[in-house]
Amino acid sequence: MDLLPSADQLDLARVAADFLAEELPRDRIRQRADESSSLDPHAWAGCADLGLFGLSVPEELGGAGCGVEEEALLFRELGRQVAPGPFLSTVLAAQLAVAVGDGDLVASVVAGKTAVGLAALRPGGTFNEHRVRGDLDLIDAVDAPLVLLLGPAGAALVETAQLGDVQPVPSIDPGVRLAAASGVDAPVSAWLPAAVQPLYLRGLVLTAAMLVGIAEACRDASTEYAKTREQFGRPIGVNQAVKHKCADMAVQAELGMAQVYFAAVSVASGRDDAELQARTAKVVAAHAATVNAASNVQVHGGMGYTWENDAHLFVKRVEVLENVLGGRTEHLGQIIALPAPQ
Amino acid sequence: MDLDFSADQRDFRDQVRTWLHDNKPRHERPRAAAGIREYDLAWQRTQFEGGWAGISWPTEYGGRGLSLIEQLIWFEEYGRAGLPSVDANFVGLNHAGPTLMTRARDDQKAQHLRQILAGEVVWCQGFSEPGAGSDLAALSTRAEIDGDDLVVSGQKIWTSFAHVADWQELLVRTSRTGSKHQGITWVICDMHTPGIEVRPIRTMDGEAEFCEVFYDDVRIPLANVVGEVDQGWSVAMSTLSFERGTAFTAGQVRLASTVEQLIELAKERTGPDGRRPAIADDELARRLATARAEVAALRAMTYVGISRSARTGTPGPEGSIVKLYYSEMVKHVARLAMDILGQDGLRYVSRWVPGGWSGNYLYSYSQTIGGGTSEVQRNIIGDRILGLPR
Repeated sequence: MDLLPSADQLDLARVAADFLAEELPRDRIRQRADESSSLDPHAWAGCADLGLFGLSVPEELGGAGCGVEEEALLFRELGRQVAPGPFLSTVLAAQLAVAVGDGDLVASVVAGKTAVGLAALRPGGTFNEHRVRGDLDLIDAVDAPLVLLLGPAGAALVETAQLGDVQPVPSIDPGVRLAAASGVDAPVSAWLPAAVQPLYLRGLVLTAAMLVGIAEACRDASTEYAKTREQFGRPIGVNQAVKHKCADMAVQAELGMAQVYFAAVSVASGRDDAELQARTAKVVAAHAATVNAASNVQVHGGMGYTWENDAHLFVKRVEVLENVLGGRTEHLGQIIALPAPQ
Repeated sequence: MDLDFSADQRDFRDQVRTWLHDNKPRHERPRAAAGIREYDLAWQRTQFEGGWAGISWPTEYGGRGLSLIEQLIWFEEYGRAGLPSVDANFVGLNHAGPTLMTRARDDQKAQHLRQILAGEVVWCQGFSEPGAGSDLAALSTRAEIDGDDLVVSGQKIWTSFAHVADWQELLVRTSRTGSKHQGITWVICDMHTPGIEVRPIRTMDGEAEFCEVFYDDVRIPLANVVGEVDQGWSVAMSTLSFERGTAFTAGQVRLASTVEQLIELAKERTGPDGRRPAIADDELARRLATARAEVAALRAMTYVGISRSARTGTPGPEGSIVKLYYSEMVKHVARLAMDILGQDGLRYVSRWVPGGWSGNYLYSYSQTIGGGTSEVQRNIIGDRILGLPR
């Protein structure tokens, strides 16, 4: 048993972190705030060159043959950078395409030529292996020919063109483009049952990993500010009211990170309690990111309330990720209903 | 990143489980101090004779010489078996023993370590004083060197099991020059020495395992000093790191079991509406689910801590994160139990008795104070992990 990443895994995360800091700095979100798509085509192509979309695609299909564990480390970095673009749905769509044997789609996604948006059912909507019906929120589906739906029973790909009238709606997050599709009754073009591969659980782990990245970035931003910002002639971090807030952020980040590792290994190895561990990761990481993002605004004072400071980017992305793949209340309802952890 | 235990480790787990099942204490733990001492020592002796004491202690001190992973497995199975916490043996096994191993002379190790493992002696801790709690380095119990002895006068407080202890890890002030961290000496004190007076302190849960200890010209041989005279602060800090390392693992497993017991309790008991079971109440159900998620994450954090210690060889300041979260969690779970019990929580039941939720609730207040308050842990995290200015 060694729950920490190996040296190779840490190297992989470092390469991704360096690339994202260089090619997708958080300021890019502000720069592109008025563009129709959040996705920066140059950076997206760079991610493909780096092999990010094929990280867990088998080597014989042009991928790197890694697993959920390495993906979780990558998505933690994406969270830390609040990276704009449909990374989650695109990477998971590649897994779906591999599982159903759609080699063309695998190759196109790995090459960065096809992005896949995320579709979230609004209350009352349903989907199964045949059709999706109801109202949908689309997340970063502007340039995407396909959208991905994820649920406990399975994962579905649907052609965006089949969704009918898609209306852009203002998004709380300037790094995410939101659209609404109403009264959808569309065919599913590819379906992966959870019994074959639990893509939903994998999605929970990766979402939780992004939330942990945000929780860590908030801890680091607040700590740095508390060391350098001076009031009353001293750095504000000497005050326990500030220091203890930072310490609590460190606790939350560590807790979320540990649970994401545990859940990633559980899903990868098919442990009996994988569902409980994955839902727990989402709940714990979302809580960590929510409280850390709020504390980060507070520690930065007036600066934390400005558009110029990154603090609001964290707050807003957390809100999106909390609602993706089920919110806290839904997961808690399942966590209490499932058998005790193994 | 893996959760795999080797075939040997799985085999070890099976052996531990079987042995604990066959050998665990059969009768209830007594309430009186003398009875607790005999009960805890007898159980430790049984473990030692069975070859199960000191899983990760070196074989030369009577331990098994196994890795932290086997130590983790032992703690997990110990907690799952619902066994009593080590209590009277805690200081010997988790503070004094590890400190002696890393800092004491060979003759000191030879005299004490095997006795601790074998359940022959009880150790207590003489650190806190009325004027030196969180600010431990402000301690003022003084020791003058007189010939081959230290002559100690002063007072210690919050000393668990002092009234039944044989030995004490004692911090005394041997010098007042220099900073307050200098001039402290870590010494082994025989609790049967003339001039020591122990007075039990009754605590809010009605029990009396805490004591204050008074020293009136108590003569302790200089040979009992561990490390150098005046250099005891660094010796003391190594002890606290151990306490905040893996020592809480059994407690965490016990906490996870407690949450599962509470979920069962909430299914059996009538809830706040007087009709349906407590688990049907949305608020209680969500708090139970949150507790289940949080103890799962606490376990993951413990595994990360053990993985980190296995790589670096020593417990780091990250132990404070686990200690802080664990102790706050104990309080939340104890509070949740009272909210499930409702009016039945008014009936006092000692925490040593099955169903002792109300006693456990009162006891839980001590958890975020002992071993360094939550506020001290936050200072350590801020200063030593985040590098914030002091």
